[in-house]
Amino acid sequence: MIRFEGAAKRHPDGTVAVRGLDLDVPAGRTTVLVGPSGCGKTTILRMVNRMVVPTAGRVLLDGADVASLPAARLRRGIGYVIQQAGLFPHRRVIDNVATVPRLLGWDRKRARARAAELLELVGLPPETARRYPAQLSGGQQQRVGVARALAADPPVLLMDEPFSAVDPLVRAGLQEELLRLQAELGKTVLFVTHDIEEAVRLGDRVVVLREHGEIAQLADPHTLLTAPADAGVAAFLGRDRGLRGLGLRPAGAVPLAALRPSYDAWELVLDQEGRPEHWRRGGERHPAPVFAPDRDSLRSALDAALLAPSGHAVAVDAEGRAVGTASRAAVVEALAAAGPVPGQVPHAGR
Amino acid sequence: MLDGEPLVRWRWLGDHFGYLADLTADHAVIALVPVLLALLLAVPLGLACARFPRMYQPLAAVFNVVYALPSLAVFVVLIPYTGLATRETVMVPLTCYALAVLLPTAVDGLRAVPEPVRQAATAMGYGPWRRLAAVELPASVPYLIGGLRVAAVSSISLAAVGALVGRGGLGYLFVDGFQRTFPTPILAGIALVALLALATDLLLVAARRVLAPWARGVAR
Amino acid sequence: MNWLGWLHDFFADPAHRSGPDSVVHRVLEHLAFSAEALGLAVLVALPLGLLIGYSGRGLFVVTALAGVARALPTLGLVTLAVLLAGVGDAAVLLPLTALAAPPVLVAAAEGVRGTDPDVRDAARGIGLTHPQTLLRVCVPAAAPTLLAGLRTASVQVIATATVAAYVGLGGLGRYVIDGLATRNYPTTVGGALLVVLLAVAVQLLFALLIRLAAPPGTRTRARRAGRTGRTEEPVPVDDPASPPALVKETP
Repeated sequence: MIRFEGAAKRHPDGTVAVRGLDLDVPAGRTTVLVGPSGCGKTTILRMVNRMVVPTAGRVLLDGADVASLPAARLRRGIGYVIQQAGLFPHRRVIDNVATVPRLLGWDRKRARARAAELLELVGLPPETARRYPAQLSGGQQQRVGVARALAADPPVLLMDEPFSAVDPLVRAGLQEELLRLQAELGKTVLFVTHDIEEAVRLGDRVVVLREHGEIAQLADPHTLLTAPADAGVAAFLGRDRGLRGLGLRPAGAVPLAALRPSYDAWELVLDQEGRPEHWRRGGERHPAPVFAPDRDSLRSALDAALLAPSGHAVAVDAEGRAVGTASRAAVVEALAAAGPVPGQVPHAGR
Repeated sequence: MLDGEPLVRWRWLGDHFGYLADLTADHAVIALVPVLLALLLAVPLGLACARFPRMYQPLAAVFNVVYALPSLAVFVVLIPYTGLATRETVMVPLTCYALAVLLPTAVDGLRAVPEPVRQAATAMGYGPWRRLAAVELPASVPYLIGGLRVAAVSSISLAAVGALVGRGGLGYLFVDGFQRTFPTPILAGIALVALLALATDLLLVAARRVLAPWARGVAR
Repeated sequence: MNWLGWLHDFFADPAHRSGPDSVVHRVLEHLAFSAEALGLAVLVALPLGLLIGYSGRGLFVVTALAGVARALPTLGLVTLAVLLAGVGDAAVLLPLTALAAPPVLVAAAEGVRGTDPDVRDAARGIGLTHPQTLLRVCVPAAAPTLLAGLRTASVQVIATATVAAYVGLGGLGRYVIDGLATRNYPTTVGGALLVVLLAVAVQLLFALLIRLAAPPGTRTRARRAGRTGRTEEPVPVDDPASPPALVKETP
């Protein structure tokens, strides 16, 4: 666990980056620091691996003050991923990933074997191992960055806007990957972003910061979206937070209907394996939007139902085979059953 | 004026093949050993300057002045210390000139490592010196080789001036040809100096491909 | 090894006080000849370099040329010129100018080339013609780089003019060469010292000019460009046919 005790950072010129932070970051979970630029979130993150030394207060890692450990040793036990990946241009991908194990004194063979494992873990094909960073795309570089941070199996992972510099499609993929990895590895992740969408998607807990690293709200994503602490947080969350809140509710609540031969003149065409191919009406064909009840959110189900020309979202299992359908009405029914969507925003002066 | 003497006497070239080869070898030693010495000095000096940036300004200023000094003047000033017609008289100044090229390229190369890379290295537990040696130094290799190319080619052409103080490798051909009003050795000297420079340059380009394969098509 | 004694002998020599072999006369000779070569080089290389830089055509040729020029031995060119064209200042002027031109050419081309494309675009956008854009926008922006190139050329010319005393040219090189020929070390050392002082003085002059020409904020870069004759960040070049874009600088 990481604990901040009145941790503050004042620059030599007198400006205050962080006024004094008290925060517990629980082990094995993902905690996201989110806030506008200049709120001190990166400073807070870097206090953990002593890239920033607090001017007051202290930071504890599993009960020990980080200032009491030699910086280099401390850092070798903490994974760190940054926006531009920061890969070493002169080392092959595999040796980039093997960096920390080598620093820890592993022999080359063992370090490389470990690095190869990690490349596979972050979803990079084996042939990337021999490449140099400049030969990779931005998204691939970022994956290597994550693999490198995980190489020595550090219990703590610090991530500073790791996905901000890649395009939205790639970013979504990387976020997905991180969720999968985290479910598998259970690291203590401290993640910094300015993107509330990303915060809500990735965080078990979200810390909304305002200026000088002051905590505006600390909550799980659902509470954050439904009950923002004040108007400032609500404004930061944006206007369609209700809709986004749906993204946090499982689609499993949607009642499914059995597949039918036809839906108001629309026919669902399946391939040989039983996977939906498209909707057909006469010569007309449309893609068939799907959702997975056990993995996707209510938002995905609603989205699929709205997009389907027949008005029925197709539910699929893990292999992508159609297992049933849900009409728009059925999805709305699930919505209603899920209880209150976004509560009222309390008045600022309350 | 040549008074009917042909520009090139091909027979002379054939007759003096061994002699020309000896001069070329001597020239290569006089010109290139200083460049290697300068490299050996430039790397630690550059590392120190990258680690302690305040050192750099005064050092740069000194080498800036050194670089502007006419070579002949420096050669003759050294004669009382290193002797007339010795290699050292020519090689000591050439080392200084090469260092004047290599130190700034070394420092620039070390500084050219992007900030995020530096940060990532620090966050992984590299101390300042270790990071310089393991990250910045290898990453600066293409820059260093770029500097070496300039230093080596300049050094090869400059070494010829040493002939005026008695030790200039191929430069001797210029003095000899001039005194005998005989253009063949002069032309041969110019060609051999240029060829030596070209060969060295190609060698360094090849060295870059081997030592910094990651920079190919990247750092253009 | 008595420096004070040698220098005393040198400056006390009546021949060095007045007449054709006097220090003042030799310094002026050296300066005049160097200025002549530099002026000729500028006359040829500057307009050509500006045009090449502005059009972006032929940059490759310019860089290659500068690389070849760097590889040529000055002493060889000077002796060859005199053998072919006869003893005299005019014969030496040719190789000197040829050696001074590449740095100017490269500096002019790279300086103009390095002008912010947005600024050039804006200049065209507000209605400046091509010549106006070149002269009023690009040339001032390229001034520090250009001066750095001139400085490199001046180093080259002063050094080569010293060497050219060997084939009969006047100037401070005379002391060095004559002193070596007659084993008169005071003369050699005195001449060498004067050459060094002259070179340093000219460098300081250029350093001052560069400082004045550089708009605030661009100073560091101009100074660094001046130091190694570099006009751009040192980008490693991978092509053997085009040596690094560094101007020739022969001390």
